[in-house]
Amino acid sequence: MTDTTPTEPDGGQTRDLSAARDMIVCENVSKWYGDFQALEQVSATIKEQEVVVVLGPSGSGKSTWIRCINHLEVHQEGRIIVDDVELTNDLRNIEQVRSEVGMVFQQFNLFPHLTVRDNVTLAPIWVRKKPRAEAEAEATALLERVGIPEQADKYPGQLSGGQQQRVAIARALAMEPKIMLFDEPTSALDPEMIKEVLDVMKTLALSGMTMMVVTHEMGFAKEVADRIIFMEGGQIVEQGTPQHFFENPTEDRTKLFLSQIL
Amino acid sequence: MSELSSAAAAANVSGAAPPEAPKLPPRQWAKENLFSSPFSSFLTIATSMVLLVISRALLGFIFNPIRQWNSTATNMQLFFTRAYPDEQYVRVWSSLAAIIILTSVSMAVWRAGSSIPLSRLGRKLLAGAVLLVLLALLAPFSASATIQWTLVAVCVAAIGEGIRRSAGKGEDERSVSSLTVLVVTLAGLVASLWVVPFGHHTYIPSRQPRVLAESGTVALTTKLPWTIMLLIAVAAYLVGRVIRERLPLNPTRVTLLVLWLLAPPVLIYLVLRDPSFDMGHVVSTDLPIFAAYAVGGSLLLSWLTRPSTGEAGRIVAVVILIAGFCTFLTPMRMVVRLDMLLLAVFALAAPTFAGGPRNRKRYVLGWLGVLGVMSWLITAINTPSTVSVPGGFFIGGFSITLMVAVLTLVLSFPLGIALALARTSTMPIFRLLATWFIEFVRGVPLITILIFFSIMVPLFLPRGMHLGEVAAVVIGYVLFSAAYLAENVRGGLQSVTRGQHEAAEAVGMTTAQKTLFIVLPQGLRVAIPPLVGHCIGVFKETSLLAIIGVFDVLYIGRIVIPGQTEFMGSTKENLLFVSVIYWVFAYQMSKASQRLEERTGLGER
Repeated sequence: MTDTTPTEPDGGQTRDLSAARDMIVCENVSKWYGDFQALEQVSATIKEQEVVVVLGPSGSGKSTWIRCINHLEVHQEGRIIVDDVELTNDLRNIEQVRSEVGMVFQQFNLFPHLTVRDNVTLAPIWVRKKPRAEAEAEATALLERVGIPEQADKYPGQLSGGQQQRVAIARALAMEPKIMLFDEPTSALDPEMIKEVLDVMKTLALSGMTMMVVTHEMGFAKEVADRIIFMEGGQIVEQGTPQHFFENPTEDRTKLFLSQIL
Repeated sequence: MSELSSAAAAANVSGAAPPEAPKLPPRQWAKENLFSSPFSSFLTIATSMVLLVISRALLGFIFNPIRQWNSTATNMQLFFTRAYPDEQYVRVWSSLAAIIILTSVSMAVWRAGSSIPLSRLGRKLLAGAVLLVLLALLAPFSASATIQWTLVAVCVAAIGEGIRRSAGKGEDERSVSSLTVLVVTLAGLVASLWVVPFGHHTYIPSRQPRVLAESGTVALTTKLPWTIMLLIAVAAYLVGRVIRERLPLNPTRVTLLVLWLLAPPVLIYLVLRDPSFDMGHVVSTDLPIFAAYAVGGSLLLSWLTRPSTGEAGRIVAVVILIAGFCTFLTPMRMVVRLDMLLLAVFALAAPTFAGGPRNRKRYVLGWLGVLGVMSWLITAINTPSTVSVPGGFFIGGFSITLMVAVLTLVLSFPLGIALALARTSTMPIFRLLATWFIEFVRGVPLITILIFFSIMVPLFLPRGMHLGEVAAVVIGYVLFSAAYLAENVRGGLQSVTRGQHEAAEAVGMTTAQKTLFIVLPQGLRVAIPPLVGHCIGVFKETSLLAIIGVFDVLYIGRIVIPGQTEFMGSTKENLLFVSVIYWVFAYQMSKASQRLEERTGLGER
């Protein structure tokens, strides 16, 4: 990558982002499914170029939270402000936020009836109104960046899981988003394909993308994250640098979680 | 691991070929598949007995000397076009030629057809020969006829064996295009018209005796046009190949699709209309209205698709929509009203397609195209037919069956999809209206709707508006068909997973874009089997048209021909013939749907 951000292995942790501007601001976000409260007063601010990894046991609300940020789920209380646009029920605000926030899903959710190339170019052509030729050139470049330029004319069903997830990342990047959200991007993959996806995510993080990642990959969290947020029962329990989080966590619940997974 | 290797196998086609399943000698094959246990032996024998009895009975019926097959042969023209005037018949042939040209060119451009290994072709011919021998033995033939049929079978077998021998083995196994086989077969059939003495039969109501039956080959008015049709088909295919190689592919395909969409209205116009059709009216009224909408609408839409137009555009669109509905309050030409509604729809959709000059130009062109088709359809439906045909209807028989079926399907597909989308939409008004419409129409028998539209609707029409009877019936049939279609499509739409919706939303697509690019293509693909079932149903249920007095092919076979004094009581023969016609077409639709499923299934897991 040609970016000037530090490239040493734990470079992300030493970055000082306090001067960067706020990309995502959540204030007291709450959400209920029926009587069950999935999110409880979640507040956090994510700076430009920051890489935040959200950890937590199943059902702790981390996916719900990340999906609220591009309005795939609707929060009922509190405020979410993405790149200075507040998410309300106004359709134009939602579309504006979504076109600036890329999302990668656990189940890839590629469009099975379109070729890889069309998967990547569809949104730029119709949402960004780019000329087809330009969109296709960019798609080729993106597919090269995620390491699968030779698969452009295949259908998603003909690719392996890891390749599909990399196409999904390319599809999200094609919209030139300012923020990328990853919702357990490696959980549906065979073990030998996890690395290829994580590598793509690492280069993306080093290129200065603002990222919010829900994952169970502790190695990735340690190496790439600027900050780790630990959630449990719909609340943020603890947050801090990877060093702080893995080496001397303060909360008992965090210690228990770490003792169970490490 | 197996998943990995299968993915790898899918990813690159190379690698070792799978071991071929060993071919069993016939005896062992029969033992393994037909007589593997006492029970399966019993089933095999019992089923063969039943099949033998049935085919014996059927052949006994067909080849019984008391059958009046000449009633079918004599009334062939009646079956297909009813009393269409002879001196105008060239228009029927021109319509057919146009369809054949379109089909052939499309086949060439889409590379239709597959290659059949010669050995398989040979085996098929051998199997056909066996069937012929069976037929000769089972049918109640005289000795000489049996010998004749057996000789034919031997010839077929000889050709089959010859082809099989010349096929070659292994690497240099030769194969032939299925299109070549098709053309050779058709050429053989056409040649047989010139050579084999099928006999010259005609029914001429204006003379005595009315039945003309001469020995020899069929009439020149039959064999000559069919020969020309075959030549046209081959020529058009060759032209299509040149087009495929010389012209850019995608524009050609789009042009062909547009031509296919235009074909039904244009061809009906061609067959329906008298040369002395009132062109003055069209020039003085319909064309100026079209021109006004074309110019005004284009200007309006190119303004509406400007990204800077914003909210004002939506207000203008709603005003046009309301104005469109208001036109129904005062007497006015139907063209004006419907075109106004169409403009409102385009205006409402404009923000979705807003963008640079290219997008805007494309949108305006789309408007002009749809407007042209719409105006043409209204003009065609709204002016009475002037071909004078004894009995009132301009055409009948299988042509009307085909015409009504094609028009109904072409028109009810967009309507059905729109209804399905409305029923699954989040807007309560649309959902409610669509649900009510679907439930109401599905609860009413088709016959009721047809009678309602043929008798009642003309009474309610505004003064000065005339709806042809067939047009009225087609409108009723379209509404009926659309309601059923909507439910089939809805099933498909609901099979699209939530993840697909979310993925489309997450890249910022609007609801319209998501529906058009993601939900509909996947939903319709899932809905292909029920949709084709529906198409076949629509095709066959056109026979209900007989109830409101349209002479369709079934009615002619059931009532008209057995009513001719020469052919009293020939119902069974003609019904069997009509069933064969229906079957051939329905079976082709079924095959086409299988091919479509295979093609569109390319990207599925």
